[in-house]
Amino acid sequence: MSVASSNEPAVLSTRYMAWYRFSRNPSAVAGGLIVLSVIFVAIFAPLLAPYPDDVGAAVNFRIRHMGPDAEHWMGTDKVGRDILTRVIFGFRISLLLVVGVLGFAVPIGTALGMAAGYFSGTTEKIITGFTNVMLAIPPLIMALAIGNVLEPNLVNAMLAITLLWWTWHARLIYRVSKSIATEDFVEAARLAGASHWHVLTREILPNCVSVISVKTTLDAAFVILFGATLSFLGLGVKPPTPDLGSMVADGRQFLPEMWWEVLGPGFAIFYATLGFNLLGDGLRDMFDVEV
Amino acid sequence: MNNLLDIQNLNVSFRNYGLESNVLKDVGLRIPEGGRVALIGETGSGKSVTSKTILGTLPENAIIESGSIRFDGEDVLSLSHGKREAMKGTAFSIIMQDPLSSFNPVFRIGRHLDDVLRFADRRLGENSNAADRKRRIERVLRQVQLSDTERVYSAYPSQLSGGMRQRVLIGLALLHQPRLLIADEPGTALDVTTQDEIMKLINRLVSENGLSLLMITHNLGVVRKMADDIYVMRHGEIVEHGSFRTLFKTPQQAYTRELIAAIPPLYGPDVEDQPPVDAEPIISLSDVSKSFDEKLLFGRGRSHLAVKDVTLSVGRGEIFGLAGESGSGKTTVARMIMGLIRATSGTVQVDGDTVGTKGQGPDFRRLIQIVYQNPGTSLNPKRTVGQTLSVPLRFAGLRGPDVEKRIHELLAHVELAPHYISKYPHELSGGQKQRVAIARALAADPKIIVLDEPTSALDVSVQKNVIDLLQRLRDGMGLTFLFISHDLSLMRNFCSRIAIMLRGELVETGEPRTVFAEPQHPYTRALIAAVPVMSDEEDRLKPKTSLDEQRRYLADTVA
Repeated sequence: MSVASSNEPAVLSTRYMAWYRFSRNPSAVAGGLIVLSVIFVAIFAPLLAPYPDDVGAAVNFRIRHMGPDAEHWMGTDKVGRDILTRVIFGFRISLLLVVGVLGFAVPIGTALGMAAGYFSGTTEKIITGFTNVMLAIPPLIMALAIGNVLEPNLVNAMLAITLLWWTWHARLIYRVSKSIATEDFVEAARLAGASHWHVLTREILPNCVSVISVKTTLDAAFVILFGATLSFLGLGVKPPTPDLGSMVADGRQFLPEMWWEVLGPGFAIFYATLGFNLLGDGLRDMFDVEV
Repeated sequence: MNNLLDIQNLNVSFRNYGLESNVLKDVGLRIPEGGRVALIGETGSGKSVTSKTILGTLPENAIIESGSIRFDGEDVLSLSHGKREAMKGTAFSIIMQDPLSSFNPVFRIGRHLDDVLRFADRRLGENSNAADRKRRIERVLRQVQLSDTERVYSAYPSQLSGGMRQRVLIGLALLHQPRLLIADEPGTALDVTTQDEIMKLINRLVSENGLSLLMITHNLGVVRKMADDIYVMRHGEIVEHGSFRTLFKTPQQAYTRELIAAIPPLYGPDVEDQPPVDAEPIISLSDVSKSFDEKLLFGRGRSHLAVKDVTLSVGRGEIFGLAGESGSGKTTVARMIMGLIRATSGTVQVDGDTVGTKGQGPDFRRLIQIVYQNPGTSLNPKRTVGQTLSVPLRFAGLRGPDVEKRIHELLAHVELAPHYISKYPHELSGGQKQRVAIARALAADPKIIVLDEPTSALDVSVQKNVIDLLQRLRDGMGLTFLFISHDLSLMRNFCSRIAIMLRGELVETGEPRTVFAEPQHPYTRALIAAVPVMSDEEDRLKPKTSLDEQRRYLADTVA
């Protein structure tokens, strides 16, 4: 029996305890592996895809609407392109969207949320008021508006999603930092002469990191879904760029006979979303935070 | 005498993060029928684990390695799950420690009690109807001296005072007339006077109903009043056992002796007198009042007067104690002195400057610092000791190697080894954390330090070390302390002057020697009389107080 020395109970590092919790949670580990596989596939897409030429506007009518077989594992689409190739490249677009959206939305939301939570009074009222107004706009209406005013493409899809996405982060971080701001250590730092900037970045932010990372991971799944929805409606990425959502939309016309044209990209969306959700849940258990 | 509970060679271990740790080692404990037994020890000594093992409420990662617990001759550990469950609340029950978090705030008190009664009835296979249960609940509430049973029954937890909630918790434990009552630090979260009432109540209930009592506590003064037999626990082992008289008079183990020596005496030859300080005042308050206004969206909210016409002055180099129960306004006074909140009327002067006009600048911040009650929340969990200490130093203009040099000096002042610089708060014990908090206060090179109950979250032996440290720091650096506390025996020994506050007003000020020998105000008398002490001699020296006086000043006293 391994027993920690009785007089001085072993102090385990928080990192070790967090990793222990994470690694003994099968669904979290599965989620992590799925996410890693998606990222791996997206990065090495040109090397992994069996028919790299099919990414663009290639046409190969001889083999259109072919079911899955040894050469085309996920079958081919209406112009004879390999669906597996396009799904592999589709991951790239999805992750690009995730990085683009969250890369802007998370810092903006965090900064505004922390400012609102830490400074009370007018700052708090303005930021929370504005956030609530933004939250009241239905996301699809916003995307439609932007898609109609501007040209529907990847960047504008990102813009539309980002404009709405920061609000959720702002709201969450507002709540978290407001409770941290009342802790004694914040007052102690102020009494020691620390500036507001120091308090925000050194005292409050490190205590928000776990919440931010859980929320961001869970959000990645929603962004993928939302991006796919936009493309499905024709508001996102335009053909021939291989986007999972628009591939589902294309394949839908040939249901139910050519089921593989929807199943391949549909499963890819499901796979990536599931991975991020499982990972997010695992991180939530690991950090023991509420999001 | 028959043993109602007999624990033998109990070994319990916890499995955490792949490590196994033995938390109870060969624990043996006997509670005779009708006996009162106390289990004392410091945080982490295994007291609560012992009570949880008896109750059968250990967490899932706990393993009972070996041993037996016999309750009335029957081995509890070998009973079936159902039988074990049926014993909870009927054979033994527990009085919970925290009167606030033990209740669900959205349910009425009656609902809490009724649920417990209903489920216990069902477990025992008895049928009961609502009216009958209500009758039984009211009887129990009367038993715990809650006279207005109807109001208590339909009140929400937040509408009752701490003492009343604690009484309801006791009632909860008594619902099914258990034979063994386990009390886990009852009243610790309450004021002394309320705690005193609760102790008397438990004692009466135990003797009237012929219950046996297992008292879990770290307060030796409480033990003296509530137990005949004492077990001292340390690191999961019973280190000493004896009747309370022999154990207090002639403790055998060094640990027990330390534990007893660490308790500051209230009266007697061992009391230390701090020399009175005769110096010009560094803090002076004249007619200071503070009212908090409730802000409402519509109409005018109520305003609550937290501090009323307080006039006091603290001399340079003094250890000025501000005593009072929760809600007496002592923390509000300290926050006004620190300039964190403004006085509604009156003037607060610190080191010659009036707080609120000139006293807001950076120099003022450096003049006065604070050590908080709970070192767990006053240190940022994500920052190392070095990072925490560097904040005030950078503010003072130190850079680069100077900062590190000064941190080492500060750690040396609070008697921590230099390698603590890279540790995170969770790697430190409570006492070490409090030392870091003291070092942070010292870092700004202040003249005054406000000590807001700096030891109430610590074990007694740690408390003694921290107090000794503070004493040395004051002597060495010529600091002035404003010491806020409700621990009167500690203040008796540590303060050079004390002031007693009651409901926002200062009722008495003076040197501890005179205040404790001849308290002038009836509230002071009631307060001192309620302090649990270590010997009969001290009890005799306490001021006499009449029930009438207590009723006038103590909110929770039985009506």
